[in-house]
Amino acid sequence: MNKYGLFLGCNMPAIRPDVERAMRLAIPALGIELVDLEGSACCPAFGTFPSADEIASLAVSGWNLSIAEKEGVNSLVQCGSCYSVLRMAREKLVKDEEKRERVNELLKKVDKHFEGKTCPRHVIDILFNDVGTEKISQSIKKDLQGLNVVVQYPCHTRFPSDVLGFDSPGRPRMLQKLVEALGATVQGYSRELQCCGGAGGFARQAYQDALKFSKKKFDAMVRETQVDFIVVNCITCLMHMEKVQKEFSKEDREFSIPVFDYAQILALCMGFDPKEVASISIIPRDKVIERVTGAP
Amino acid sequence: MIDLTKANHHLWKEIMEEDAGDIRHCFNCGTCVSGCPAAEAESPLHIRRLVRMVLLGLEEKLLEDGTPWMCVTCTACEEMCPMGVKPFEVGLAIRRWQTRKDETYLPLATTEIFETGHTQPVEKIGELRKSLGLPEIPPTIAKFSELLKVFQAMLKETEIVKNNDYMFKEGNKK
Repeated sequence: MNKYGLFLGCNMPAIRPDVERAMRLAIPALGIELVDLEGSACCPAFGTFPSADEIASLAVSGWNLSIAEKEGVNSLVQCGSCYSVLRMAREKLVKDEEKRERVNELLKKVDKHFEGKTCPRHVIDILFNDVGTEKISQSIKKDLQGLNVVVQYPCHTRFPSDVLGFDSPGRPRMLQKLVEALGATVQGYSRELQCCGGAGGFARQAYQDALKFSKKKFDAMVRETQVDFIVVNCITCLMHMEKVQKEFSKEDREFSIPVFDYAQILALCMGFDPKEVASISIIPRDKVIERVTGAP
Repeated sequence: MIDLTKANHHLWKEIMEEDAGDIRHCFNCGTCVSGCPAAEAESPLHIRRLVRMVLLGLEEKLLEDGTPWMCVTCTACEEMCPMGVKPFEVGLAIRRWQTRKDETYLPLATTEIFETGHTQPVEKIGELRKSLGLPEIPPTIAKFSELLKVFQAMLKETEIVKNNDYMFKEGNKK
């Protein structure tokens, strides 16, 4: 199936629409058709309905899943928590007949229905397993030769692996290989697999503690690598890994490591306009963009 | 000293609803805590401790415990648990139980989703989206007001909205 429904979620279209633009340009350039999931809503994020009422939560996920199912497409998801919420809801709805019936009763009144015929997939999974690194290497006009990259795997795409995994949960490598396909050198470090600290309630309930947690990651990163920029593939990782650097710079030495979503750096290598695909950031990305595009 | 004479021995059934069962297999090994980001906080989330509180029936203490809300939702605990307890699901189930018992726990983002379909104002950055070559309003529920009404009608049939109907209002948007 070369056609996917683009699941937008909330943060990407509202806060980082340049990532949405990058995805809408770069992914079709690899031969994948993206269709809109018209009328889709919040996934709903774990801190919302899943923390208040399970059936209401499954009904909202069911609403979203039924839209893709009606289109006959798997959804393509970038946000880690949207991916995890939708996959875990789908698992419950498929395996638990009673919950499925209760949710379908709610959906019936709004002319929707869930069967589980299609399935949400994360964009890393689709790019690595369906498109492949070879095709990606052939699709680019500029490469990242000579640049050192650190990758951030979204936790929500790793666990629980029996429900939603596609890469090795303990030793994921797909994002690394996707970045290497663009010519960059990916450098590992001791805290590579540590959570960014941005999702859920930790940063909201104990901000200073969450900052300290993220600081350990960044300290290890600068100590152990020659990082030029970070590549993430989750909207929360993108926003949080920029935000914390700004906070560290107030207290400690300056941190200014640019952060890109994979679709953004891919789109830049394909020659798309940086003003469209990589224009919103807290940490300046101009130097990397100039290096990739060759334009000052 | 924990006074177990005041404990609610059915608490685990109340909290785990129909998913009860596996939580009793917990032998308190702490694997769930060892990989948990929020366990590094000064007042840490210790999911193992919460599971103990549920099993011992420490209702009053658990109701005032805010640590379940610190979870980053990474689900590493669920991956690592050797007993299949699904600690992540236990944390969410405790949040739901707290919300049922005390409406001040109700996450306000649920009311935002009810009002707009989203947790972020996706319809408010039209100019910026247009400048990037995107449609001003994304083709989500934000674009279709009729669908939003239908979405709200669906949610009105759920317990959480029925029981807290004064918090869930249509038309607060904008």
